[in-house]
Amino acid sequence: MDKLAKQLRDDAHRIECSVSDELEDRVRASLEGIEPEPAQRPRRESKSFSFWWASSLTGVAAAIAMIAFINLQTPGPGPVATDSNLQPLVIPTVRWHTETAVLTSPLEQEFEDLQADLKKAEEAVKQDIDRLF
Amino acid sequence: MSNEAALIEAARNGSAAAFADLVGAYREGLLRFLLTRSSSFADAEDALQDTLINAYRYLHSYDARWRFSTWLYRIAINNAARLKSTETVELGDLSDGGDDPLRLCIEASERENLWLSARRSLTDEVYAAMWLRYVEDMSIKDISTVLERSVSWTKVNLMRGRKILDAEFNKVATDEKSKAYG
Repeated sequence: MDKLAKQLRDDAHRIECSVSDELEDRVRASLEGIEPEPAQRPRRESKSFSFWWASSLTGVAAAIAMIAFINLQTPGPGPVATDSNLQPLVIPTVRWHTETAVLTSPLEQEFEDLQADLKKAEEAVKQDIDRLF
Repeated sequence: MSNEAALIEAARNGSAAAFADLVGAYREGLLRFLLTRSSSFADAEDALQDTLINAYRYLHSYDARWRFSTWLYRIAINNAARLKSTETVELGDLSDGGDDPLRLCIEASERENLWLSARRSLTDEVYAAMWLRYVEDMSIKDISTVLERSVSWTKVNLMRGRKILDAEFNKVATDEKSKAYG
């Protein structure tokens, strides 16, 4: 121990003080009047396990209830149509007068023939108009 | 189980007598320490009473990994700090006055007690660190635990405190030598 440390220790012991009887009585009386606070017990493992189970079951029950509720609230698909409910479908028939084009010659020849038919039809229409008016 | 551990267990179960036995060895040291932090002897006694009552009440929070004295001093330092915050008289004003309880409790000597010099020149925390180290023989780790400081802080401030007190000590020694040699 160095000189300073020794001197500090000696000087501390030179501080003369002692716990008086009166203080001792006071402390004893105070201690008897109080109870040490109980230590907080650590949670038991089984308790936390049961808590886990309870919370899981509650969660599952809540999920099922929610699914059921949503399903009840959503409007269903409605009555399914049956054959008896079907209105008779009337489709107007259009009668087309068609002639089958018989392509017996090349397309260019057919085109000239059609033009000639058209000219003849025009002349026939003109004659009919002149005759009427 | 050691005797101290048995007393702690009994006190935890509500035995005030076991607690009184437990703290019996520390009361004088605690009072001496608190006296250096108080403006009157009565305040130091009140602080000691509060320390012991709090220790008994909250004994369940004591961790057996610590030394019991470390835990007890932690409570005492908290009480001393609270006491000081409510005091109207500054300790520095008392250090030179005749009402200073520390001065009154120090036996007459030609040389000034180093703890009086320490109280004048060191901060509260450094003072407490020096006391715990050189009077209570606490380890650096225990001191840092009591003061709620890092080990590095404790080491550095113990060294600073030592340096300051060493200068005071050497000054006194030089003065005494000069007087002796005329």
